[in-house]
Amino acid sequence: MTAKKLIRHETILALLVIVALFVLDRQSDRFFTVDNLFNQGRLMTEVGLIALIMTFVIVTGGIDLSVGSIVGMTAIVLGVFWKNLGLPLPLAILLALAVGTFAGFVNGIIITRFRVPALIATLGTLALYRGIAEGISQARSVRGYPEWFFVLGQGSVLGVPTQLWILGLVALLSAVALAYTTWGRTTYAIGSNEVAARFSGLGVDATKIAIYAASGFAAALAAVIFVSRVSTTRSDMGTGLELDAITAVVLGGTSIFGGRGTVVGTILGLILIQALKNGLSLAGVKSDGTVVLIGAVLILTILVSNLFHRDANR
Amino acid sequence: MTPPVMPPVTSPVTPLVSLAGVSKSFAGVRVLKDVDFDVLPGEVHALLGENGAGKSTLIKVIAGVHAPDGGTITIGERELAAVTPRDAVEGGIATVYQELLLFPELSVAENVFLGHAPTRGLGRLDWTQMRRRARQLLDSLDSHDLDVDAKVGTLSVANRQRVEIAKALSQNARVLIMDEPTAALADADVRRLMDVVRRLRARGVGIVYVSHKLPEIFELADRVTVLRDGALIGTKPIAEVTEQSLVAMMVGREIDHLFPKPEPAIRETVLKVEGLACGDRFRDVSFELRRGEILGMAGLVGSGRTEVALTIFGITPATAGTIELEGRPVAITSPRHACDLGIAYVPEDRGLQGLVRPMTIAQNVSMASLRKVATGIFIRFADEALRAAASIKQLGTRARGPDQVVGQLSGGNQQKVVLGKWLETNPRILIMDEPTRGIDVGAKSEIHALMGRLAQEGMAILMISSELPEVLGMSDRVLVMHAGRLVAAIDRADANPESVGAAMAGAAAQEAA
Amino acid sequence: MAAPDLHAAPDFHPKRSLAARIVSAYGQEIVIAAAIVALFVVVSTINPRFLGTNNLNTIIAGNAYIAVAAIGMSMVIITGQIDVSVGALIGVLATISGNLAVSGAPVWIAWIAPVFIGAAISGVTGALVAYGRLPSIVVTLGMLSILKGGLVSVTGGAWINHLPPAFQLAQQRWLGLPVPIWFMVALTLLAFLWMRNTAFGRSLYAIGGNPEAARAAGIPVERRIVQTFMIHGAFAGIATMIFATQLRVIQSTVPPNLELTIITASVIGGVSILGGTGTVIGSTLAAILFAAIGSAMIFVNVSAYWLRAVIGFLILVTVLVDMARRNREFRQ
Repeated sequence: MTAKKLIRHETILALLVIVALFVLDRQSDRFFTVDNLFNQGRLMTEVGLIALIMTFVIVTGGIDLSVGSIVGMTAIVLGVFWKNLGLPLPLAILLALAVGTFAGFVNGIIITRFRVPALIATLGTLALYRGIAEGISQARSVRGYPEWFFVLGQGSVLGVPTQLWILGLVALLSAVALAYTTWGRTTYAIGSNEVAARFSGLGVDATKIAIYAASGFAAALAAVIFVSRVSTTRSDMGTGLELDAITAVVLGGTSIFGGRGTVVGTILGLILIQALKNGLSLAGVKSDGTVVLIGAVLILTILVSNLFHRDANR
Repeated sequence: MTPPVMPPVTSPVTPLVSLAGVSKSFAGVRVLKDVDFDVLPGEVHALLGENGAGKSTLIKVIAGVHAPDGGTITIGERELAAVTPRDAVEGGIATVYQELLLFPELSVAENVFLGHAPTRGLGRLDWTQMRRRARQLLDSLDSHDLDVDAKVGTLSVANRQRVEIAKALSQNARVLIMDEPTAALADADVRRLMDVVRRLRARGVGIVYVSHKLPEIFELADRVTVLRDGALIGTKPIAEVTEQSLVAMMVGREIDHLFPKPEPAIRETVLKVEGLACGDRFRDVSFELRRGEILGMAGLVGSGRTEVALTIFGITPATAGTIELEGRPVAITSPRHACDLGIAYVPEDRGLQGLVRPMTIAQNVSMASLRKVATGIFIRFADEALRAAASIKQLGTRARGPDQVVGQLSGGNQQKVVLGKWLETNPRILIMDEPTRGIDVGAKSEIHALMGRLAQEGMAILMISSELPEVLGMSDRVLVMHAGRLVAAIDRADANPESVGAAMAGAAAQEAA
Repeated sequence: MAAPDLHAAPDFHPKRSLAARIVSAYGQEIVIAAAIVALFVVVSTINPRFLGTNNLNTIIAGNAYIAVAAIGMSMVIITGQIDVSVGALIGVLATISGNLAVSGAPVWIAWIAPVFIGAAISGVTGALVAYGRLPSIVVTLGMLSILKGGLVSVTGGAWINHLPPAFQLAQQRWLGLPVPIWFMVALTLLAFLWMRNTAFGRSLYAIGGNPEAARAAGIPVERRIVQTFMIHGAFAGIATMIFATQLRVIQSTVPPNLELTIITASVIGGVSILGGTGTVIGSTLAAILFAAIGSAMIFVNVSAYWLRAVIGFLILVTVLVDMARRNREFRQ
């Protein structure tokens, strides 16, 4: 029955995406061009990577508000290691990814070992990680990256933007992991009833720590792509990204209370949001206007899905 | 401590509350069938029945938590089809539940008066009066040592209960419902509580007293009502019943018939526990568990039985002592570890600890043995469904199929799913904590039969139970816990209600000391 | 009884002294006050100019609006909810206030309007939380987007100049003290007494501590949550009254990370993030502490860019201590 309901939510969402695409196509003849779609894909990648792993986090009943700050911190780490410490850029990239993973790991430790609610723990690290980024960078930006580095964020492979390949790969891996593996099953079990999962001998804490670490890794990967796309490093990078990611996940049908949700839903949610942003801006609505719409859509979606869920359970 | 002389029960006193023909169903299961019940002023009316007999539902109908499907409830003069919580408060009905409804961060005085605190105009609270009246109420309950300014979260269970009773009295309760008030109390606190109950009765309060403990009931009650399987078996003055007749009313059939136990084939020792302790929950627990044996563990709630099981299962690792599995010492640090060692635990709280209710039967059955239905990390879904179907068949679970969501099943069938989950792991040791709590009679005897069969096939079973008939009927040996210690080990031949009951009450501990 | 009894230990409370009682009830507040004093002593020995009247005024008056907003936030957190949209709300209210002032409306209308509009907007948030049964974090994340996006798309981030001098409430002094300090002290005391001494105030603690039991005790939980959000919105409006009038221009955007600073003041001030405990005196002291830390960093030559890292670290430490205390105190 749960499966049926999820399928229903995703079907509705898919229809919504199709309608939105159709309407937007009528609004502007520039919308359905390969150039525009690829460009939108580039813009979607950073939030997309984060949202994919955020799906796991929210399915366990948790939340990660610190991802935007991890983006800022790892971007700064990348810049500082390369420019100020003079490390080779590939090594700096690896170190940035390691720092992001470690930041997520720290979230996981605070949440599992010290039993701090995820909301609060990551609210604290949101401030801490952003603060570290600001402290290290002292408001200086890093520029002048070598040309080859821009392939990641601005170049193409086989005619498709490089980062879309990465996003596609991560999407595929996470979709398979959540739906078809023992890890995914453990993730759902934790979100539905953490105590019973623990009493069934599942590695609850280890799984949660791994998921938060993966979330940190995804944020770091997004940061590297972000830096490559905009050719510069600044400490305020990724501010507010956590909201976009959570909105996409929740819009995609993942219950904020945990236990329900799919990667496919998140991908549809991402596409819908990006299409709305792009379409509305092509139709002449300012980008800030679309932010309003996204906020309203977020509240309405949860309100509606909450009503359905309650009816099903009582 | 002589009980006050009571008016004869048959006197034409108007009941404070009376129920006539009340029925209630949950998800198609009738938990109350056409029950009549009443409470008179100045009486203690005991409500008895085994777990799942419908006592909790009955008191929740009176308190206005559940609306009945049929019948009428009369509070004072008002005849109602259903009571709202507001009706209950206005009618002077207060309930002290097992899980107390208190605010841990607020003071004792505030907890007592929350929602109806004395004020001084402009909505300002009158702290002086609030504290004084709280003091008076607690003094009237003989709790002079309880600080009205203490945070409730820092109090012991017994004191929290007194706060809850004071709260009921502050609302001028004329009917006080007490749901197993002594379940989590030590002897000294039980005696104090019984004094309080007598005082209230003397003031004319009608008390509904739910308890499993027969000695308490004979000491306190004026009348007793027995429920079984949701039906009223009878209401009698206490003078007209004996322990034997009450048990017969509650159980309703011969014990031997209820517990079909095959001849055991007891073999070598699997689990050996020496001087086990976990903080101040229990200490100095030593016993052996053998293949083919059902080892019963009796004791009152809070005596440390479940805590021992949790330690062996790795939830709360031991702080002292040793555990040996087939002769090898092991330090069990997590449930996962225990699982790998071949220990299975069917927990006490099925909904919270045993099952993931929104998931399907197949997903629950495979949960503890995911690796068996997976290649690497990939789950073989067809295999998983097949195994679940086999488990459903083996245990006689009544379900539509492996895809059915567990939350839709009845209690007995849910328990079979939990059991099925653990049997999938092929455990050497099966710990069952209250294996038949809240389960209908049919499923109960099926689970008992299954336990007998598993033991015969060589499994070692540690069964924790609060139901004495179950302990006596199923166990090859009986261990008894009291106040965090193992106080007796009794062979099947010597185990009877008297010997086990005495040990549960701490008599053996006194002899030993 | 021969057998050792694990449960029989009575809670014996000998008459404790008043001082002991105060320490146990207001531990966190005392710790923060001590931290402020220690900070002032240490920093002023390193750099005596830290204690200059001007600097003190800047520290306290300049951050009074955070303390005022934290009062309302504390109430929301005590009932077990949270509001991450408050920074955006203050941004919107400041813009409305400034535009009213510039358009020639009487200054008192420009001052008061944010209070009512804030209460109305937060009331909607509260209704969605209480009656829509949505988690407050999600609703207020959505509100954050709506308010922030709405503000910028309407104003385009333009600055509001030429504010009438009479509008500059926060730059006035009463009896020699800057107005924001009066507001901060008076509102903190009022709110503290109200929350301690009224049935309404106590019901906030009850709802945060045990919502089911609160409902059983006859407290209208949903209505109280909406009312709490409205009061919180009104405090955001009063905070705006100070915030919008302290500079000669209003930048009609959302002040970055304001919500985080406000939430942090509440949490570090001893309001448990799990609800049910804390006071507004603590949150006000915490707001002063932050401002003092920020200023002190300059005076001892640490880059102010590290401020946020310090605050983040403080949040984590406070929360970990709170969790440890709860686990110890309410171990069952």
